[in-house]
Amino acid sequence: MSETQPASEGMAGRETGMSGVFKRFASRRLAATSAGLLALFVWLVILWPWIEPHHPYALGDAQFAPPGGRHWGGTDVHGRDLLTRMMHGASMSLMVGAAGALVSLVIGVSWGAVAGYSGGRVDALMMRGVDVLYSLPSIIFVVVLITTLESALKQWFSKAFSTEFAASTRFLLLFFGLGSVSWLTMARIVRGQVLSLKNRSFVAASRVLGASHLHILRHHILPNVWGIVIVYLTLTVPSVVLYESFLSFLGLGVQPPQASLGSLIAEGASQINSVRIYWWLIAFPSAMLASILLALSVVGDGLRESLEVRNRE
Amino acid sequence: MSKPLRIFLQGLFILASGLTSGGCVRQQPRADVVIVNGADPESLDPAIITALEDYRVVPALFEGLTRIDPKTAVPIPGLAENWEVREEGTEYVFQLRPGLRWSTGEPLTADDVVFSWLRLLDPLTAADYAAQLFCVKNGEAFSTNGITDASKVGIHALDRNRVRVQLNHPVPYFLDLCASPTMAVVPRKVIETHGDRWLQVRPLPSSGSHTLEVWRLNDKLRLRKNPLYWDAANTVNSTVEFLPVGSPSTALNLYERGVVDIIWDKDLVPSELLDDLKSRPDFHAFPYIGTYFVRFNTTHPPFNDPRVRQALALAVNKRRIVERIIRGGEPVAHQLVPTGVAKHQAPDGLIPDPDAGRKLLAEAGFPQGKGFPVFQYLFDSAAGGGAKVHAKIAVELQEMWRRELGIRMELRQLEKKVYLAAQNGLDYDLSRSSWLGDYNDPNTFLDLFLSNNGNNRTGWKNARYDGLIHRANLERDDLQRSELLREAESLLVRQEAVVIPLYFYLGFQFYDGNRIEGIHGNILGMSAVRTIRNKAMEKGRDR
Repeated sequence: MSETQPASEGMAGRETGMSGVFKRFASRRLAATSAGLLALFVWLVILWPWIEPHHPYALGDAQFAPPGGRHWGGTDVHGRDLLTRMMHGASMSLMVGAAGALVSLVIGVSWGAVAGYSGGRVDALMMRGVDVLYSLPSIIFVVVLITTLESALKQWFSKAFSTEFAASTRFLLLFFGLGSVSWLTMARIVRGQVLSLKNRSFVAASRVLGASHLHILRHHILPNVWGIVIVYLTLTVPSVVLYESFLSFLGLGVQPPQASLGSLIAEGASQINSVRIYWWLIAFPSAMLASILLALSVVGDGLRESLEVRNRE
Repeated sequence: MSKPLRIFLQGLFILASGLTSGGCVRQQPRADVVIVNGADPESLDPAIITALEDYRVVPALFEGLTRIDPKTAVPIPGLAENWEVREEGTEYVFQLRPGLRWSTGEPLTADDVVFSWLRLLDPLTAADYAAQLFCVKNGEAFSTNGITDASKVGIHALDRNRVRVQLNHPVPYFLDLCASPTMAVVPRKVIETHGDRWLQVRPLPSSGSHTLEVWRLNDKLRLRKNPLYWDAANTVNSTVEFLPVGSPSTALNLYERGVVDIIWDKDLVPSELLDDLKSRPDFHAFPYIGTYFVRFNTTHPPFNDPRVRQALALAVNKRRIVERIIRGGEPVAHQLVPTGVAKHQAPDGLIPDPDAGRKLLAEAGFPQGKGFPVFQYLFDSAAGGGAKVHAKIAVELQEMWRRELGIRMELRQLEKKVYLAAQNGLDYDLSRSSWLGDYNDPNTFLDLFLSNNGNNRTGWKNARYDGLIHRANLERDDLQRSELLREAESLLVRQEAVVIPLYFYLGFQFYDGNRIEGIHGNILGMSAVRTIRNKAMEKGRDR
């Protein structure tokens, strides 16, 4: 009997289980379609800078041109192509979303796993830390972080590195700030899972056989929380994207001439008046943001339900 | 839900709604006239104010010896009934009106006038506009700490009702200066008792046509007619409200819904709709003397090099900004002093020429913009958010300089008061600026950039420029004088390129001429609050 065999008790039929998840997910037509469209969209956003017909910052003479043959999404007050700016905005929003998800993956999973596995005082200390961070209004935390640290960091960066690097301070702070508030839920969920897993017999067996804590965490516990982690990752991305859009709407996110979906919506909203509305400036970016958020949520829901079925088995 | 719980929750709800509605926002009846005034005033202290928003409110609270005729913008008697000019124009004796009183009932005397003017000069006040009184005997020395004895300054009370002012040299626009809001008469007793916090005193004594009823930041500023004002019989409204609205669309929507009667800030007319709005009967355009320009902070590299400043100036496509962004028919500016200012000869400015700009930048050590540091462009945000024209101009400049010179600029948007503080403290690289003439003479624009002027805000000190302006102001011959001023202006906008003029202002106002009367467009862009009448409100009251 090899050392790893007891583990297979917990992961009974893991391969078939995983493929079962995919099968179940694929059978949910809405979720599968959303996932497909989302993947397509992400590819388009990534490839856009090579295929774009207009430079995103280039000023043009056609101001407020309605959507048409030359500018599919119309143009803004500076004659810039809206579609191009939306694509760059979406890439910005998705990038921030991905960064937030990555931070929540790395910090959230390791924090939750360590806390849950250690138990006792370490667990209490780590989770009270999470509670304290939870009690802070997260968006205000990010706002305060950006407004207080930006100028100081920028000065330091321009001295220590280069002015070019200093120019991306806002970026880094945005990544850092959004990441630092997005891992809390992940940590709690992972801890809960680990708590229930660590008392299962296959873990006990491995412990009896003298496996180290790290080994148990890596080989027996974490593989069993991946499912739920992936589900929550897909749900973290839209919430971070929404945060970022909100901050940019307030003018604290990306800086002009860069655009994010939030800042584009803010620009469009300022054009709402009783005389004449340039509807495309608000309608297109809002529609794009809403679709991205909706698709991500549907995919997340689909994944969760597919996995829950497995859990019930 | 159990009954006690429901009652408890209902009580909680009523308490909460009471706290939110009654506690902070007391509903007042609509004012006779409601005006969208752009940003909140920076202050109401005449010695502190510099922005147009403040300038439009403060004269209603504090009047000077003269005041502006709202139609023609020439000075007419204010607190002073008449005056004598002596000693070939170097001495003025003002006779105050008999029985002048503060709105709180105390008598207003010549002492108050002398106190107010010395306060403007006092280095402790740190007034940006102190230079307006540098023409007074020993005024400059007193202000720049040369002498400390205020009695040596040529401003004296001869008796309770007479003020004598001695000037260094004849000043053709001295009566205009007396009408400037910064030279208004402020209550001596209150300021001496309360110091810097005097504006918080209620009731606040006022010498103008109105008193301050309430000022809530980012909400409204409400004035009420001052019954003790000497000309109260001609004040045609009883309450006036100023709303700080920053977004042109919001302003327009408020106006269309009838919440406000007047929009009188040109920045608050959505420029992208101007083509439609211009033809409406309630749209009123008028010329006024003002210039939109960009300031350089000349104290830091690379902008301490005139070639760099010239290069940036040459690379701006001003015509595009005027035609595509501003869209009100404003003329492109290559000089600081607007066309139409009296006794002015315009020098040649820097006519946009990107090739020449690139060459100058290369000479300064930045070929194709290589090695040029990333710099910031400072501009003020709209009150309450919203896209103002400043942000759009900033984006245009950013892209023009990126494309033409290969240099990178970041935008830095600050709230108006913080923006002004940053400008004053030279905490910027480039800054959006504008200047509106205080009187119809080139000097109101050109004396800004004297080394010791509080409104200079560029760190630029040039002895030759100072000399030219001083010589010009001693010159009695108009032609000679305008020649000297032209030379100085050429130094400012061409050789040294301390500023990049973009365009000259036109004034816009929105009001329904059938309901609102007594509002005027004059070349100073300042309408008197006391003469604005809302006929609709009067009818409503009669019923």
